[in-house]
Amino acid sequence: MAYAIPEENYDLLETVREFAQKEIKEQCKEYDVSGEFPKEIYDAAIEMGLHTLEIPEEYGGMGLDKVTVAALIEQIGIADAGFGTTFAATGLAYKAVLAAGNEEQKQRCADILTETGFAAFCLTEPMAGSDAANSKTTAVKDGDEYILNGRKCFITNAGVAGFYVVTAMTDKTKGTKGMSAFIVEDGTPGLSVGNHENKMGIRCSTTADVVFEDCRIPASNLIGEEGQGYKIAMITLDMARPYMGCVAVGIAQRAIDEAIAYMKERVQFGKPIAANQGLQFKLADMQIKCETARQMVAHAVSLQETDKKYSMESSIAKAYAGDVAMECASEAIQIFGGYGFSREYPVEKLLRDAKIFQIFEGTNEIQKIVIANNLLR
Amino acid sequence: MEILVCVKQVPDDSVEITLDKSTGMPALDKVAVITNAFDGYALEMATRFKEAHGGNITVVSVGPEKARDTLRNCCSVGANAAYLVNDAACENSDTYGTAYALSKAVAKIEAEKGVKFDIIFCGKETTDYTSSQVGPMLAEIMDIPQVTNIIALDPAEGGLSVKQETEEGYNMVDVATPCVVTVTKPSYDPRYPTMKSKMAARKVQIPDITAADMGADASLMGEAGAKCKVVKVFEPAKKEAGVKIKEETVEETVAKAVAMMSDAKVF
Amino acid sequence: MILVYIETAEGKAKNVGLEMINAAKALTDKVAAVVVGAADEAVKQAASYGADEVITVNYEGYNTDAYCYIFKALVEKYSPEAVFVGGTLDGKDFAPRLAAKLGAGCVTDVVGTKKEDGKVVYTCPVYGGTVLNDMVVESPVAVAIIRSGAFKKADPLDAAANVVAEEISVPAEELKTKIAETVKEISETVNLEEAEVIVSGGRGMGAAENFALLNELADLLGGVVGATRAPIESGWISRAHQIGQSGKIVAPKLYIACGISGATQHVSGMIGSDYIVAINKDEDAPIFDIANVGIVGNVLDVIPLMIEEIKKAKA
Repeated sequence: MAYAIPEENYDLLETVREFAQKEIKEQCKEYDVSGEFPKEIYDAAIEMGLHTLEIPEEYGGMGLDKVTVAALIEQIGIADAGFGTTFAATGLAYKAVLAAGNEEQKQRCADILTETGFAAFCLTEPMAGSDAANSKTTAVKDGDEYILNGRKCFITNAGVAGFYVVTAMTDKTKGTKGMSAFIVEDGTPGLSVGNHENKMGIRCSTTADVVFEDCRIPASNLIGEEGQGYKIAMITLDMARPYMGCVAVGIAQRAIDEAIAYMKERVQFGKPIAANQGLQFKLADMQIKCETARQMVAHAVSLQETDKKYSMESSIAKAYAGDVAMECASEAIQIFGGYGFSREYPVEKLLRDAKIFQIFEGTNEIQKIVIANNLLR
Repeated sequence: MEILVCVKQVPDDSVEITLDKSTGMPALDKVAVITNAFDGYALEMATRFKEAHGGNITVVSVGPEKARDTLRNCCSVGANAAYLVNDAACENSDTYGTAYALSKAVAKIEAEKGVKFDIIFCGKETTDYTSSQVGPMLAEIMDIPQVTNIIALDPAEGGLSVKQETEEGYNMVDVATPCVVTVTKPSYDPRYPTMKSKMAARKVQIPDITAADMGADASLMGEAGAKCKVVKVFEPAKKEAGVKIKEETVEETVAKAVAMMSDAKVF
Repeated sequence: MILVYIETAEGKAKNVGLEMINAAKALTDKVAAVVVGAADEAVKQAASYGADEVITVNYEGYNTDAYCYIFKALVEKYSPEAVFVGGTLDGKDFAPRLAAKLGAGCVTDVVGTKKEDGKVVYTCPVYGGTVLNDMVVESPVAVAIIRSGAFKKADPLDAAANVVAEEISVPAEELKTKIAETVKEISETVNLEEAEVIVSGGRGMGAAENFALLNELADLLGGVVGATRAPIESGWISRAHQIGQSGKIVAPKLYIACGISGATQHVSGMIGSDYIVAINKDEDAPIFDIANVGIVGNVLDVIPLMIEEIKKAKA
């Protein structure tokens, strides 16, 4: 029923579980309605250090093993998937620096992240979604600076991030090989945040356009070398996908938890509906899916941890967990019947929250392309 | 200042505890154990006091081996050191036996650390037995002043100025140190541990203290030493549920309910 | 003999003291009520509610150490089998310390007493009231802290008090604490313990302004307004109104629970009510398990209609 994490880390799991259950779960309902960013709750989570789980110890973070990180993020996801997404998206941006940055960048970004709590990864553009290579944002070298121009969209943590990892074309003629990756610190002139999206789900996370207008950054903010941006982005996404998977597993687990509670409590035909074998089978199917998705996440991050190939497994974990989240949320609503459709009850939110997990950080169709490419190469 | 906080590990008070049908005793096996809520408030108040005025916080518990987890948790939210009074002789003590054991532990810890505690914090009561006796009894055994039901405290000349909650407001009480204070719910909640403080607390050594270590008279503790004995454990008679009314319209529902109340002559 | 401490407020006895006289009478041959400080009315009340004797002690104000000193002196002089103290803040403050001073066993939150094989058995709730312990005290004198509202007062008789005035001077060095200032923040007096009707609100009331509905209903029924912990913590109403494990324990003739789910914390404070009406939109709310009449519906719709219906019924 859980990730097999090192024995000593159960104290962390319990702490995060308690915080998520007591401080996030109920409180986020209100923010789900208003669409406001629950700043105070995030501040409390940051006070606890939930944004530093993946920062290596040498850069001042917790340096936890990847399975433990997944287990902790799942706990947040159980309480609220938007909340979990925020932390997973922060991890995504920092992973790009970890994957390809130099020592100075790794330390600097760790310091910024520790201080501000959030980071953002900016790849998607209005005309470059799945087709990331069709990027229009440009970076032009000017002495020891780059000048960035363009617009990124659907950026999680836009407006709250301490730094942004941004892909931009340094040589349009070379296609994906002309793309480079940069660190842009919050407060840099020319960096601004556009309209916030009014989203269907994960409404406790913040999503907006990020706009660059003659945004000058030091040349030392280039991650890796010119032309490596696309490759860095793909590696980063491979690394990060399982963590979105674990938030999706959190949704599925929540759907199961809510279904169990309701099945025991709801009486029809003179007995709790949990006595109905048809519903028991539904519940068992949800559990089979949820647990296999969780273990796929664990497998993908374990491969990463032990320096084995993990690209295909990351895609499987993310795509499968996204589907499972949708299925479990939908089945939970079915078990709740009419009440499941009501916003007074907790399960309709799960379905709204789940959908994006089949879409962002590469749609499930893109994941299947990654999987097929791995098989056929 | 040197601060001691007395804590107890109790069954989770958000879980309804009933009797085990086979043993006739409270079924506690499947109930998680937590720090007594009022002890948590006491530790938070002590930690805020330490942060404002300096000092050290030691936590102590009289309890079984498992209570070590609670002490370790305390070390992740403000305590600098912890001791566990862990001796079969203390099992099933009544409130006096527990207060006596704590008084002996205080002397032992003071001798070991070479300090004198200025303030001893207790929760105003535990959520399991709600006796609210141990703090005042400890103060009496140690022959030091007590202030119960406090919500704040500050250093003052010669001791402390303590805010004691009353029915209608509060008292400001002057008290010399050393003293015992018992804490009720203040306006804030206990902090959460951070990931870092949690990991640091893993490394804290929590020494055991036995009855012999602290020179305690075993005949005053445990079941044999208890002045109060439990002779029967039972569940209160269940109140029968009456009728639940849900008619087509709220008007009909209310009319029916009020008619029933009227028939029962309750107004 | 049992000594019963009669706590007073503005010269009058608090209910719990008078209730304890009745409880003690069933257990012993002689009940001596103890009134500390000038309170003629309380002395009269103690006599009329059944005390065989009233001991007055000339000490004004409350101090933990002074009270311990006074009651120790009384115990040494009268050798009672027990001292009964009401479960008020002051009672819970000094009684355990007195017990430690006397080497006496102490029981708290007593909700029932009986005599078995010559011994007094005290019934005390544990685990928030879901379990009861019967306890016996094996010391020459017992200190029992009695829960307010757990026992009924006797019917008052026109009895003259047999008053014994004790002169006890508390040495100054006994006093270890000093109350420098007493501040009244809560001006309203809410007599929950003595109310015959209580209309109580929980989280489901939704907002502070909705408590006006409860006031209206309570006024109509000649009752007072109570609350669970959630509305108090949200600042909708003062803590003087709190009912439950961490508030007042009440036992009115009619208790109307509005938007209250029925957590043990609260239920243990009102389960002794004679007739319980519960209003909650959640038909599975545990409060319905203990209600005589359960109304499934939104409190804000139900209460105004209920006020109208009761007015009609009363007319």
